[in-house]
Amino acid sequence: MSLIRRHWLSVVAILVSFVVFVIPFIFIVLTAMKDKRQSALLDFSWPEKFQLWENIVDVITTRNWQLLTAFINSTILTVASVTLLVVFAAMVGFVLQRRRTRWNGLINFLILAGLMIPPAIVPTIWLLQAMGLFAKLHGLILIEVAYHLPFSILLYRAFIATIPKDLDEAAIIDGARPLDVFFRIIMPLLWPVTVTNIVVQSVTIFNDFTNPLYYLPGRGNETVQLTLYNFQSQFNTSYHLLFTNILLITIPPLIVFLFFNRQIVAGVTAGAVKG
Amino acid sequence: MANPTSRAYARRSTYPGWFFLPAAIIYGVLFLVPTFASLYFSLTRWSLFSSEFIGLTNFYQFFEEPFLVQGLVNTVIFAMITSGLKVVLGLLLAVLLTSRIALRGYLRSVVFFPVLVSTVGVGITFTVLMHPTQGAINVALELVGIDGPHWLTNPSLALYSVALVDVWKGVGLATVIYIAGLVAIPKDYYEAARIDGSTPTQSFFYITLPLSRPATVTVITLSFIGGLKTFDLIWAMTRGGPGFSSDTIASIIYKQYQAGFYGLSTAGNVVLFVLIALLVVPLTMYLNRREGHE
Amino acid sequence: MAGLELKAIQKSYGAVEVIKGVNLEISHGEFVVFVGPSGCGKSTLLRMIAGLEDISAGELWIAGKKCNHVEPRDRGIAMVFQSYALYPHMTVYENFGFGLKLAKTPKDVRDRKIRDAARILQMEHLLDRKPSQLSGGQRQRVAIGRAIVRQPEVFLFDEPLSNLDAALRVDMRMELANLHRDLGSTMIYVTHDQVEAMTLADKIVVLNGGVVQQVGSPIELYQRPENLFVAGFIGSPKMNFTEVTIDSINGGQVTVSGADIQPTELSADTTGLGEGDTVTLGTRPHDLLADASGNISGHVSLVERLGNETNVSLKLRSGATWLVVLDGDRELRHGQELQLGIEDQKAMIFDAAGQARHMA
Ligand SMILES: Nc1ncnc2c1ncn2[C@@H]1O[C@H](COP(=O)(O)OP(=O)(O)O)[C@@H](O)[C@H]1O
Ligand SMILES: [Mg+2]
Repeated sequence: MSLIRRHWLSVVAILVSFVVFVIPFIFIVLTAMKDKRQSALLDFSWPEKFQLWENIVDVITTRNWQLLTAFINSTILTVASVTLLVVFAAMVGFVLQRRRTRWNGLINFLILAGLMIPPAIVPTIWLLQAMGLFAKLHGLILIEVAYHLPFSILLYRAFIATIPKDLDEAAIIDGARPLDVFFRIIMPLLWPVTVTNIVVQSVTIFNDFTNPLYYLPGRGNETVQLTLYNFQSQFNTSYHLLFTNILLITIPPLIVFLFFNRQIVAGVTAGAVKG
Repeated sequence: MANPTSRAYARRSTYPGWFFLPAAIIYGVLFLVPTFASLYFSLTRWSLFSSEFIGLTNFYQFFEEPFLVQGLVNTVIFAMITSGLKVVLGLLLAVLLTSRIALRGYLRSVVFFPVLVSTVGVGITFTVLMHPTQGAINVALELVGIDGPHWLTNPSLALYSVALVDVWKGVGLATVIYIAGLVAIPKDYYEAARIDGSTPTQSFFYITLPLSRPATVTVITLSFIGGLKTFDLIWAMTRGGPGFSSDTIASIIYKQYQAGFYGLSTAGNVVLFVLIALLVVPLTMYLNRREGHE
Repeated sequence: MAGLELKAIQKSYGAVEVIKGVNLEISHGEFVVFVGPSGCGKSTLLRMIAGLEDISAGELWIAGKKCNHVEPRDRGIAMVFQSYALYPHMTVYENFGFGLKLAKTPKDVRDRKIRDAARILQMEHLLDRKPSQLSGGQRQRVAIGRAIVRQPEVFLFDEPLSNLDAALRVDMRMELANLHRDLGSTMIYVTHDQVEAMTLADKIVVLNGGVVQQVGSPIELYQRPENLFVAGFIGSPKMNFTEVTIDSINGGQVTVSGADIQPTELSADTTGLGEGDTVTLGTRPHDLLADASGNISGHVSLVERLGNETNVSLKLRSGATWLVVLDGDRELRHGQELQLGIEDQKAMIFDAAGQARHMA
């Protein structure tokens, strides 16, 4: 009885998951392979003429290689902001977890506030302009760091709590200075959570649409998510190119997913058990 | 009492306070300063170069102009629907995906992958799939004799359609959070309950549900805050339309910014901030208090 | 010469004073053990010597130099932690060499010192392992090795053996004793286990509630404990106590009696004591013997027969339970009445303030 029921459940689950979660991606791939005319039908038909490669070349070269610039911009943005995030968040998490001071309450409050409060957009633009950082890639990098610090700090603090304080003290006895303790003892031990942090924040920042939209306007400044948005208005009828673009920008997260699924899940579920 | 100089010596030598500095500067300047500045600028008519103090006028507008009021209501509806569905579906999927089901790894991956995909890409894809006549969804419904609705072009439906897509993209996150919560429940409880004669349904309601409470708190809090702030999916799918029928505060902030109404846009930020504070703080306090009782 | 001197050392956490003015002199090469119940401040005192905890008041002198504000690395100390605190991401070799590397010791010197230490501890074959690949005892030796490599003037140990099983603990105890003999350095060793203290120490410092109770050699502490606390803490099994009244004083001799004991004559320092005073009598389980004419009697409540000796729990009239260790094997019934005598007047008197009244 229960054997039959289990198989029945499995079959239904697999079918439903296929329809709900897989078919939309198949649709993306199929449309990306079609020509302009057939893609405009928006239907679920088999491509009459496979021209994925032509579409890719088209998308990349269009508007003066905009997509290539965008990939470069997005890569710089992601790598730079994640690097800063890792170092700065680990430093805060370390001292915050190790040292009990009267500031800790305020800092914890600010971390929660950062997770909850939506950024004040126009005042930020006003400030960035005053500092000459508006519509500049390094300005956006600092913005991404500011917005994602709270989550990274929480990850690090939770993990540092599992590293015994004895290790710091043994290192001090061995003659380590504060920077030695942090960079030679703590940072290497943080490696697992650093991988998680890198992966989760990379995906988030690579996929970020809103912040580049507000803070990095202007030609040549596009990030990959914005190219999609631009194509959407520009190629109202060129669905094959639009979906080729979607396909291309889905590849980096897919690669990350294939190699780092475990770390991502560890990152996003941190805190789920304790609340 | 401790000698202040010797105390300072030990602290300085081990966990330097300046480790806070880089993060504090970036966060303080780029997040806190604008947040405080928004409190002032929301009370002005503002062009970036000059601002004129106009008191609470911007806020009055938010509660008088029908399209702004609608945006406010939409925001709350959107957040409630998406977080509610994510909790229910996430928990059910997690129970399913922790049971002994075939192809469990594949199912978990497939449910989770949309979390990592570009929101704009998802929005565009579903805009196409939800096309009233040509879209795959309605074509499929037609095959079984159902006349599919105008998902995104019917003003009374658009917001809910976007909400469904948001759930499609986000339910994987809720699911993995629940899975983490469920696997932390000791198996003994289920075995003890079975010996006491509990049916699987009873076990779900008396063991799984109460013991996955921390996960529920996380899922509700995360998705409710996320729902209140949603911008990119709505912008990619409907731009707040048709009309203003699917506008949320976040899309209004963008529209007012584009239109040059910086004071009003900033007031939108403050409204959203207050809304989150008013809804989320009591919510988490309620959830955590109940937890303390058990 | 690396002697240490602690002058009125105090430590407070906020308003809570955990070390209440400790004065202590330790000479070069001594093996000193801090012993006391858990929470009495042993670790805190050791960590102040190490420089991991700042000193609230008082002075710490190491090798003739005031060290209150000297960095740990400049104090000439090394420390072995209870948890071992091995760096998990480094091999044994790297664990040994970390301190030397930080001190920018040339590579060949470093290598030689690491290998010397490994030889002393007979763990040359383990140098390439990570701590996670070692057994508890091996980890313990790595922790010691890391200290040896630094060639410190003073070794500090904080309950280093408490994570080992009983058999290994005995072995390591002997090894530490050998190490001390071979290296000749000063060692300060913290433990709550008075057997460890008795077997290892040249000098024991008994702490309670942040106050030094007594300093002395193990035998001194055993034979002439200065107060009730030390008497009860040192020696295993514990000393038995009972309240008695002074019947008469005759020079250095007192006669006492109480609910549990018939009039008994003992020698004691009687200065300031008077007839009718209530004092505490203490006697060690090994100093009692079965004697039909003895002046202590009670009912047997538990018997442990070990073959060479017999441990008897005896319920006295006052309700107190004494432990008695009798020579050889005795067959005793539960509830049976037993008469005991005190061997050679081996009993001590403690006055109302808890101070021992030994004959001068
Ligand atoms: N960081 C601290 N803050 C407050 N009290 C402390 C701290 N560290 C230790 N104590 C207190 O100081 C006392 C002595 O602790 P410790 O030296 O660790 O005892 P021992 O090593 O003898 O067991 C204990 O009562 C402990 O609670
Ligand atoms: Mg201790």
